[in-house]
Amino acid sequence: MFFFQFQAPPDTSGYMIAGYAIAFGVMFIYVVSLFIRYRNLNRDMSMFEEMDKDK
Amino acid sequence: MAESTLRTTARRPAKSSFWKAIAAIAWKDLSAELRSRELLSAMLVFSLLVILIFNFALELDITTRRTVTSGVLWATFAFAGTLGLNRSMAVEKDRGCLDGLLLAPVDRSAIYFGKVISNLVFMLIVEAIVLPIYSVLYSINLFQPGLLLVILLGSVGYVAVGTLLSSMAVQTRTRDVLLPILLFPVVVPILIAAVKASGGYLTNAPMTDILPWLNLLIAYDVIFTAIAFMVFDYVVEE
Amino acid sequence: MQAKPSTLKVLDVVSLILLGVSAYLALVFAPTEAVMGEVQRVFYFHVATAWVGMLGFIAAGVSGIIYLRTGDLKWDRVEMAAVEISLVFFFITIVLGSIWARPVWNTWWTWDPRLTTAAITELIYIAYFMLRQGIEDPDRRARFGAVYTLIGAVSVPITFMAIRLFRTIHPVVIGTESAEAQGGFNMTGDMRIAFFFALFAFTVIFIDLFWNRIRMGTLADKVEQLKLKVMQ
Repeated sequence: MFFFQFQAPPDTSGYMIAGYAIAFGVMFIYVVSLFIRYRNLNRDMSMFEEMDKDK
Repeated sequence: MAESTLRTTARRPAKSSFWKAIAAIAWKDLSAELRSRELLSAMLVFSLLVILIFNFALELDITTRRTVTSGVLWATFAFAGTLGLNRSMAVEKDRGCLDGLLLAPVDRSAIYFGKVISNLVFMLIVEAIVLPIYSVLYSINLFQPGLLLVILLGSVGYVAVGTLLSSMAVQTRTRDVLLPILLFPVVVPILIAAVKASGGYLTNAPMTDILPWLNLLIAYDVIFTAIAFMVFDYVVEE
Repeated sequence: MQAKPSTLKVLDVVSLILLGVSAYLALVFAPTEAVMGEVQRVFYFHVATAWVGMLGFIAAGVSGIIYLRTGDLKWDRVEMAAVEISLVFFFITIVLGSIWARPVWNTWWTWDPRLTTAAITELIYIAYFMLRQGIEDPDRRARFGAVYTLIGAVSVPITFMAIRLFRTIHPVVIGTESAEAQGGFNMTGDMRIAFFFALFAFTVIFIDLFWNRIRMGTLADKVEQLKLKVMQ
C-alpha cells in the first residue's frame, strides 16, 4: 500500500539540549568566576587599606 | 693613538657596523659550538631517536613511506629545533652574555639577526646529517633540490619566530618547558606548508600543486622575520 | 575603587535580557530544520560565540600593539580581558561545533578549517597565560604578553588560510568546509531573524563582559600596588 508520507526529521533534541546546557553553563561559570574574583579583590583591598592606615 | 682610533670609528658608516655586529654575534655562537659540539650532538642524537620512535610508531611500508616521510621529517625537525633554540638562549642567559651584548653599543636587531643566523646554521647542520641517514634507512632519495629548498625555507621561518620566542621563554620561571608551548601553535602554517611541499616534491607532484605551499612559506618567512626584528627590542629591554 | 557606573549596571541587565530573547528565538521561534532536526539550533549560538571570540581576538591584537607603542599599562589590562573572554567563548564555539557534528556527520571532530583554527587559537591563549604566569615584573609581563599576542594575531589568519588550502586540495569525505555550506541547510526568514539577533545580542554581551573584566583588571592592579606599598 502506497501512501505519501512526509518524513519527520530525526530526533536530535538530546544534542541540542546538551549544547545549550554547555553554552549556558560555561557562560554562567565565567560570570560567577568574575563575581568571586571581584569579591576577593575587594576584600584584599580593604585589608590592605587597613594595614596602610595602621602604618 | 686613541684620537686617531676615535676619528676612524666616527667616520665608519653605521651600516657596516650593523653587519659586522651580526657577523660577530653569529660567529661567537658558531665558534663556541665548533669547540664544544654539545648542542649539535644533542640535537643530532635526539633527531635520530625520534626517527627511530617513528619507525615503530608508524608502519612504514614502501607505499606509505612516500606519503608519510615528509611528516616524519618535519616532526623530527620541529622537536630537535626546540632543543637547539632553548640551549642557544639558555647559554646566553646563564653566562651573562646576553647582558653583555645588551650593554654593547650595538643595534638590538643585530643581536636578533646574529642569533637567528647561528640558530639557523645549527638547524641546517642537523638537517644535513639527518637527511642522508633517513635516506639510507628508508631507501628514499631525499636529495632533491626542491626538497632542500623547502627545508631551507621552513627552517628560516621556524628559527625566525623561535629565536624571538626563546628570548622571551628564557626570561621566565619555566624557561625550557615554555618554548614548545609558545612556538608550536604559532608555527603551524610552516609545518603544514613544509609537509605539503616536501610531500609534493617526493611524490613528483606537478608544480601547480606545490607552488601555493612554497608561496605560503616565503610569505610567512618574510612577515615573521620583519615582525620579530621590529619587536625584538621590547623583548630584551631591561 | 569607584562604584560601578550606572551605565554598566544597565548594560548588565540589558545583556541578560538580550541573552534570554536570543535563546527564545533560537529554541522556540526559529523553525525546526528539516534534515538534521533540533540539533541545528545550536548553530545560532555556535556562530554567535565564534563572533564574540573573534571580537576578543581582534581587540587583543590591537591593544597589544597599542601597549607596545604607548607603554600605558591600561592597554595591557584591556588585552588580558580580551584574551580571557575570547578563550571562554571560543571554547563554547568548539564544543557546540563538536555537538553539532556528531549527529549530522557521525563524528565528534571534523577538522573543519574554522574549528581547527579556533582550537589552535585556544592553545595560543593558554600559552599566553602560561607565559605571563612565569614573569614577576609587571612591565615585562605586559611587554611579553603584547609581543606574543601580536605574533599570535598574525599567525592565526595565516594558519586558517593554510588549513583551508590543505582542505581544498585534499577534500575529506567526512564533514569539510563550513558547516552551513556543507549541504547543511538553507536559512528561512525566521531562521535569519534568530541568527542575526543572536549576533547582535552577543555583541552586546561581549561589550558588557569586556567592560566588567577591564574594571576588574584595574582593581587587581590597584590591589597589587597597594600590597607592594604595604608589604615593604
